[in-house]
Amino acid sequence: MTQALEGFLQALSAGLLIGAVYGLMCVGLGLIFGVMRVINFAQGDFMMLGMYAAFYFFTAFGVQATFGNTFGPFVAILLAGPVLAVFGYFVHLTLISRVSGMRTSSLEGEGHYAQLILTLGIALILQNGGLLVFGSVLASIRTPLSSSAWELGPMVYDVSVFINKARGIDAVVSLVTMLLLTLMITRSRIGKSLRAAADNPTAATYMGIDVDRAHRIAFALGTGITAIAGGLLATNYPFHPFVGVEYVIVMYAGVVLGGMGSLIGAFWGGMTIGLVQQMSTLILPTQLQNAAIFVVFLLIIFFRPQGFFGRMVERT
Amino acid sequence: MLRIDGLTAGYSAIPVLNGVSIKVDEGQFVAIVGPNGAGKTTLFKTISGIVQPSAGTITFEDHDLLAIRPSQRAHLGIAHVPEGRQVFPSLTVMENLEMGAMTEAGQRDWKHNIERIFEWLPILAERRGQFAGTLSGGQQQMLAIGRGLAGSPKLLMLDEPSMGLAPTIADFIFERLIEIRRQSNLTILLVEQRVAEALESADHGYVLEAGRVALEGNNETLRADDRIRKAYLGM
Repeated sequence: MTQALEGFLQALSAGLLIGAVYGLMCVGLGLIFGVMRVINFAQGDFMMLGMYAAFYFFTAFGVQATFGNTFGPFVAILLAGPVLAVFGYFVHLTLISRVSGMRTSSLEGEGHYAQLILTLGIALILQNGGLLVFGSVLASIRTPLSSSAWELGPMVYDVSVFINKARGIDAVVSLVTMLLLTLMITRSRIGKSLRAAADNPTAATYMGIDVDRAHRIAFALGTGITAIAGGLLATNYPFHPFVGVEYVIVMYAGVVLGGMGSLIGAFWGGMTIGLVQQMSTLILPTQLQNAAIFVVFLLIIFFRPQGFFGRMVERT
Repeated sequence: MLRIDGLTAGYSAIPVLNGVSIKVDEGQFVAIVGPNGAGKTTLFKTISGIVQPSAGTITFEDHDLLAIRPSQRAHLGIAHVPEGRQVFPSLTVMENLEMGAMTEAGQRDWKHNIERIFEWLPILAERRGQFAGTLSGGQQQMLAIGRGLAGSPKLLMLDEPSMGLAPTIADFIFERLIEIRRQSNLTILLVEQRVAEALESADHGYVLEAGRVALEGNNETLRADDRIRKAYLGM
């Protein structure tokens, strides 16, 4: 009994912590999809670049020397966000803008075919380019916190829960980032104009909003957010140039679960996936973690096809 | 203020507008009437830059409008209240109005404008926190007009503000427009299918048929014209 309860609470806390980071990862993709309606297959690989950016900031650019082993990784991760945002900005400027935005709004299929091919192409280039530049050796951003834990408890029945310190900080960083992004989107002028451009690009143009610029900002933000999430994951999971493929599916599952176009939905979608992944180990072998995610995914979509926060009525 | 000369525009190869010339002077209320498919909405979309013309010129004040990017045209002082309202459904009423005030002039005059808009269209003040997508058609139309006014425009372009509304609501919106114009002296370009009402309140009118200006004239000339009386006014 005690042991079962302990296992349950342990899996629950692990799920919540990893779920917060998955949530942030999904929000990056959800922002891009929500504002631009572009299916970005390269999002996982942008995340991979974010992991390597954090890795090199930490090891090669003096962050480790300045901030030490314990908190250096988190500083490096927060630096990787803006760097990848700038990268995303230029990817949009040079490539994505050619197949999206006002230029394609009058085309059949709104340019989705070209977007699929282009982002898939970018993904392949980044994966194989990454292999060339970073090599195939597993990298990781380890901090001493990755292998130490806080003990909560003992609570009732002498049950204690151990919280991995690195994951705990990861979750806090995720939540704070999510909070800042939400404030920006809901309160600031630029955030409101992003939402207007998402709602109705033509009417937004009538208001004097440069829709292509709004898309560029959304793409940069989405890339930066996912890069931060990637860096946070890298404190616990080793990575390689093809790691994006593993996560991009989870990202899409999270965005669809939350309801396409809803940022808060994408966060809860990611959180759900984290919880299912960790809790499934209580009753299923570890190898079936990812299978469990998609069984639950299918069940939720079966009963609520529009996702948690999606609207059934398509906007006019 | 606005001068359109020999404008030809359309989708793909088929021109919807065929050599249209229209002039709006400062302070004027100009109405463009005509049947469905005459090219009225396309004309507005061309002025706003959503449709590219294949020939002709558009001059606004001293600017060659066609050389200016679509998103910059609002900043010159052109407000487009589009056909079918097109409010931002997932933004609140207040946020919709803020979007209307993205222009420099709109930022500068925000306090003054919002006061007047709420005075003219009090329902917007009442519903300010509500999502625009949950408003009724008439309320959305009022919001679309308020959103246009929030940018302190020099020229207000209204595309069929009565479309899809119950006659009493449409009447109310017309009455509001006339009141707004009386108080603000705004230059207005209106596209309408309710020909009688449109010609009654406008200074000058154009009849657009199959992409051409079939007839133009001031208020009295048009209302006295036999063709208009028969075809549009049912007399």
